[in-house]
Amino acid sequence: MRNKFDEQLERLHVELIQMGALCEDAISAAAEALLKGDGELARTAIEAEREIDQKERDVESLCLKLLLQQQPVAKDLREISAALKMISDLERIGDQAADIAELTRYVRLPDGSGLLHIADMARAVIRMVTDSVDSFVRRDLTLARCVCAADDQVDELFDRVKEELIAFIAAGAGSGEQGLDLLMVAKYLERIGDHATNVAEWVEYSITGIHPSSN
Amino acid sequence: MTKRIFRSILAVALAVLLASLGLIVGVLHGYFEDRVAWELESRTGYIARGVEREGMDYLTSGLSRDCRVTWVASDGTVLYDNWQDAATMENHGQREEIREAMEIGKGRASRYSDTLAEETLYYAVRLSDGSVLRVSDTQYSVWRMVLQALQPMALVMALAFCLALWLASRLARQLVAPINAIDLNNVGTVESYEELAPLLSKIRGQNRQIRQQMADLKRQQEEFAAITENMSEGLLVIDRETRVLSRNSAALRLLGGRPDGGVGESVYTLDREAPFRRCVEEALAGRRCEGLLEKEGCCRQIIASPVEQDGALVGAVLIILDVTEKEQRDQLRREFTANVSHELKTPLTSILGTAEILENGLVKPEDVGHFAGNIHREAERLIGLVNDIIKLSRLDEGGPTGQWETVDLYALAEKVLDQVAAAAERKHVTLKLEGGPAMARGVPQILEEILYNLCDNAVAYNVEGGSVTVTAADTPQGARVTVADTGIGIPREVQERVFERFYRVDKSHSAGGTGLGLSIVKHGAAYLGARVSLTSRPGQGSTFTVEFPKVGKATE
Repeated sequence: MRNKFDEQLERLHVELIQMGALCEDAISAAAEALLKGDGELARTAIEAEREIDQKERDVESLCLKLLLQQQPVAKDLREISAALKMISDLERIGDQAADIAELTRYVRLPDGSGLLHIADMARAVIRMVTDSVDSFVRRDLTLARCVCAADDQVDELFDRVKEELIAFIAAGAGSGEQGLDLLMVAKYLERIGDHATNVAEWVEYSITGIHPSSN
Repeated sequence: MTKRIFRSILAVALAVLLASLGLIVGVLHGYFEDRVAWELESRTGYIARGVEREGMDYLTSGLSRDCRVTWVASDGTVLYDNWQDAATMENHGQREEIREAMEIGKGRASRYSDTLAEETLYYAVRLSDGSVLRVSDTQYSVWRMVLQALQPMALVMALAFCLALWLASRLARQLVAPINAIDLNNVGTVESYEELAPLLSKIRGQNRQIRQQMADLKRQQEEFAAITENMSEGLLVIDRETRVLSRNSAALRLLGGRPDGGVGESVYTLDREAPFRRCVEEALAGRRCEGLLEKEGCCRQIIASPVEQDGALVGAVLIILDVTEKEQRDQLRREFTANVSHELKTPLTSILGTAEILENGLVKPEDVGHFAGNIHREAERLIGLVNDIIKLSRLDEGGPTGQWETVDLYALAEKVLDQVAAAAERKHVTLKLEGGPAMARGVPQILEEILYNLCDNAVAYNVEGGSVTVTAADTPQGARVTVADTGIGIPREVQERVFERFYRVDKSHSAGGTGLGLSIVKHGAAYLGARVSLTSRPGQGSTFTVEFPKVGKATE
């Protein structure tokens, strides 16, 4: 027989997966909206963000309930505290996806310009978010570490996009405002990558009991 | 158990103890009473004899004080008492034993003293002078005896208590040991005391029943597993908490999950895309739901149904179908329909426009021929298109479109090149035929159609002054025809698509044609069991190769 605690812990796991999946939806929709200029998708991303906020509150109260009523120890305690940290990162991912979606209203990717790297960056970041959620779902330590490694790649891409945007503005190819908006998008993507890394680090903590930043 | 056995043993021990005590006291008391009375009597005799001989002196000189001796005169006054002062004592004439002795020579009595819990026995004899000598002795009452026996009894009881304790635990152990030692799965070989036999036979019976039921269950489970494992559709059974209760490997394969994942975990660990989540949520809310899941070029249909038991929702069943091909076919069909209507509409619009101008008399008489030619050309194109579509649909249906014969591809190529010669001349394209006789089996009309379409394309998409080379050859693997041109070529990324219906590399339609030619080639070749391959480089030309199976091996 499963006792109530195990059941609630399982519930927490499922809720976190759902929240992660919502984040994936939000960031994919936002990136798609950016690359295709699709207003409908942008709205989807913004709606997903609202859902993510709701989910964050749900998971938070579930975590607190577990902590107060069950007084978990050892691995269970780790998992719950990691969950509490993870949801704030996931929530930030949702927020930034929504920010990107809002910017897409004003930003059009210049056709055929050398800004393809922003698309690469979006893809890499989506991959990171997916992998970080996957590593949580499967409790996969190697995958979690891969996510941390992928962040360097995203940072590199960000630098490249920045250079491209400087060249873009310098060449006067579009309005300066558009260049800046695109820079914002790139920055948001870079931040999402960081949050995905944080999530992966918390996954590693909940598995090993050691947070990667502590050594 | 030990406690109960202990209690029984103790109870038995105590009962026996008390019973024997009562018995012993009863018997012994009577015996001792008799004995004391007899002793008293003989002692009284001795003392009486002494008093008769020596008088008072006998009494006063060294008579032992262990029993009370009283000498009473015949009138009842006490002459002597060795325990009390005779002068202070009252007249004893009325005492029962003394009166008796005075009357019949001897008397006895016993009096009970509550305060001392003892019985005093009196014996009196009449002396020759008429006085009476009385001797009394005390005897402990029954209660006194019992009281005195209490201490040793307590000792015995304590002993019995300890013994009972030890025995009880030993007995309980002995009773239980064989029961504990029974191997429940293998009762047959257990040897034990006979009182256990009914229990053992009952266990044996139940074991048989359990084995039977287990075997039934296992068989059912295996049947279920065999059925679900052999399904190409994915099957997932989940409970209300989205935990997977049952799944088949097709489900894991279709969802792209790990081969070991699943049972006991949340279904969201297998997939967590939005349509999938929506299906699961809807089904767990009691509504049937269908969804389409697209990932990595594959298309999965999810059908989720709630499972109810006694009116309460207990979970959901998810069926996952691979609909990639169906979706692709649907896509092709939609494109085809759109293309056909477009292709049919273009010449018809042209005809309609021209006819309208003619009808309104806006055309100068000398131009009528030109306009009529227009109508004629467009109508021909329309007919060509419809014919192509009919050919394709026949090939699609795979129905017999003619007799199979052995055909010389070289001769056929010659005939086909004649047909396109006029068009080639207009474009100044040189036609060359190389190779030698190559025999292939097939339906002549289809073979001709294939070659014609390839040559027609080679000319139509050629450059001014280019060339088309047709080579027919017999190879050990079978006949082979290649049609090489020096035309515009086909970019690598669309080489797969040129065989699709209505697909054109040149979107401007400038080269004419129906867009169905290569599609007919592909389907015709497939019908004949031949293989079409294409090598091309943009700007340098394309080479189509059709390889036929060896004559004699051809399957119909």
